[in-house]
Amino acid sequence: MWPFAVLLGKLLTYTSGGGTSVFSLAFNSASTLKAIMNTVVVGILVAVLSCIISLPLAWIFARTDLAGRHIYKTLFSLPYAIPPFIGAMAWISLANPSTGILNTLVGKSWIDIYGMGGLIWVEATFLYTFVLLNILGAMERLDSSLEEAARISGASPARVFFDITLPLIRPALLSGVLLVFLASAASFGVPALIGTPRGLYLLTTRIYTFQKMGSINGIFIASSLSIILLLLALIGLFINQYLLKKSKVEVVGGKSPRPSLFSFEKKSIWVHVCLCILISILFFLPILGIIIGALAKVQGVLSLDNLGLQNFVKVFLEIPETANAVKNSFLLAATAATAATGLGLLFAFMAVKGQSPFKKIWEFVTSVPFATPGTVLALAFILAFGRGLFGTYLPLYNSLTLIALIYIVKYINFSFRASADGLRQIHDCLAEASLVSGAGPFKTFIHIWIPLLKTTLLASWFLVFMPSFSELTMTILLTGPGLETLGTLLFQLHEYGDASGGGAQVLALFIVAFVICLNFLVKILSKGKYGL
Amino acid sequence: MSSVSFQQVTKIFGTTTVLHGIDLTIQDGHFMSFLGPSGCGKTTCLRIVAGLEKNSGGEVKIDDDIVSNPERNIFVPPEKRRVGMVFQSYAVWPHMNVFDNVAYPLKIQKMSKADIKIRVEEILNLVELTGLLKRIPSELSGGQQQRVALARGLVMRPRVLLLDEPLSNLDAKLREKMREDIRNIQQKFKMTCIYVTHDQIEAFTMSDKIAILNQGHVIQMGSPQEIRNNPGNKFVADFISTHT
Repeated sequence: MWPFAVLLGKLLTYTSGGGTSVFSLAFNSASTLKAIMNTVVVGILVAVLSCIISLPLAWIFARTDLAGRHIYKTLFSLPYAIPPFIGAMAWISLANPSTGILNTLVGKSWIDIYGMGGLIWVEATFLYTFVLLNILGAMERLDSSLEEAARISGASPARVFFDITLPLIRPALLSGVLLVFLASAASFGVPALIGTPRGLYLLTTRIYTFQKMGSINGIFIASSLSIILLLLALIGLFINQYLLKKSKVEVVGGKSPRPSLFSFEKKSIWVHVCLCILISILFFLPILGIIIGALAKVQGVLSLDNLGLQNFVKVFLEIPETANAVKNSFLLAATAATAATGLGLLFAFMAVKGQSPFKKIWEFVTSVPFATPGTVLALAFILAFGRGLFGTYLPLYNSLTLIALIYIVKYINFSFRASADGLRQIHDCLAEASLVSGAGPFKTFIHIWIPLLKTTLLASWFLVFMPSFSELTMTILLTGPGLETLGTLLFQLHEYGDASGGGAQVLALFIVAFVICLNFLVKILSKGKYGL
Repeated sequence: MSSVSFQQVTKIFGTTTVLHGIDLTIQDGHFMSFLGPSGCGKTTCLRIVAGLEKNSGGEVKIDDDIVSNPERNIFVPPEKRRVGMVFQSYAVWPHMNVFDNVAYPLKIQKMSKADIKIRVEEILNLVELTGLLKRIPSELSGGQQQRVALARGLVMRPRVLLLDEPLSNLDAKLREKMREDIRNIQQKFKMTCIYVTHDQIEAFTMSDKIAILNQGHVIQMGSPQEIRNNPGNKFVADFISTHT
């Protein structure tokens, strides 16, 4: 029914079939234990840093009357839409010890992005958006009279936040923290770019090196490592489900019209200054880094003569893979988005309007692959569709079809949730009226459901398209000659070959600009319901 | 207890004016109801007294303290006003038990633990919640939660008690009992109360004075007797006859 279940089973039997020797090989090595430790430590510190960034921001956006807070909210949410490995590249252009812009500006190398600190910083500056968006949602749902009652009782706004708001949004906060931890544990691009050069390996980068060894033993070790990662993710998923259930009980829908907002009055200028500095460091500085990197003829030299468009010429006209990568990325993302939207709608239909006792299963089926770290999912696909197994009957290995398939499986959760939300808002009587008018179920679906769900379907399409378009973690394991995508080409340009640099930054700039434009397009098309 | 007075109080939300120059005084120890259809501005008036909304013009005084006057740039934040408030949705904090909910205003005043305990138990007896100290709000009925909210509003001995449609979420029988209880407590302490409602039975049975509001104006103010015997205009006459 759904390939994923099969794949998981195969993966499990395969690794255990590989014998205990492989497992012990994987676990006994000090480097593996180190990788596990690193994954956990990075995950925890990224989560903590994310909270430190998000909590004050959420309070300012949701509980004060600061002018322009809606614009700030959008700006601070934007890193959510940008793939973190692009952020890693940007920070390398900025703070690479030899040619980083921040270092050449000062004249000596005072910041070094490579290593543990840089890794945590880059991950946190992108992943904090998970916490921010989660707690903003919870704060908006919170009944405002709970906080007003505390004000009346004599508590200052700050005290209200700590005594009332924070305890009440705690489930949402914890759920956000958990998502950050999981995303950081599952991320491949950032540790590969920032950790690997200093010999700092996480589980994902270890799996990648073993898989790229090419030997069957390498694949087995990679699989056994990926099981640890998968376990980590599944435990996280279940805790998260529990927390979400709890937060729904505790956070009651508010009726009170507008929360009384805190006013900074004369101090608001300082808040503006702080917010502007913060967003510059978190967002504009990296973007600037990419722009300068893309324009620089020689990396690390800061002068006007050094700026030019030759990197653009090189990337788009001279490197033969670029055209192919752009074509592949568009094709893959569009295929995945279309298929996932269709399937997601079908599943959502069965989950929301279905009568069968299996209603709940659809939610589960779509959320498990999404929670599975991309590296693990890709390995499962390799094992299942590789030579010897399914591969004999379904020659998908080394094909774009397999990559498209994995995008669909991974991101169908987005379209499922969008469609399920949309379907819940449409009352059954609209369809019943059509049935009574003599249209069959199929005609009803085409004439009633589809038009009513137009915006939802559009949003669902883009929600799958955007992450697929710049995907790296899974694609890098499944790619091969002729199968390059924007993500993998960018990674390869950055890692090898591109001697004078700049090529990767050009592609990164292209992706960022494209993704941000798409995001605003979605926001306008969905009238603010989706998008940042 | 204290008096509350409004002088030419206006409130503008964006382009719509919701209060057009309200003038009224609530005397010390009086029970005053703001009565009117939904959207008439009665809740806004109450929230202005609490400091949860800022009036756009005019002056609000509690006793001789000016708590809000935008022309003179005076605004006392809600936590400094020493008023109690009971919300329509109860607003009992779900993460605290009954004792902690009621004790919260006293904790903020940094009262000693022993004193807090005495005061909270005394007030819980008054609202007939004796022995439910350790319960969490989700274990309480709607009526009990409303009593917790009332106790929390009373415990710090506020200058004014504000009640925002406190009974509208209760069933009819419970409502009748609560009406009597609130009135009795108010009489016992000679407490100044402002009570917002759209239910004229509540207003007429509990109040010393009623202010009838419509579209941001006070249409008529007087004792229940005066209003019933002598409705000021057609709106008042219609409103009190259709709701009886």
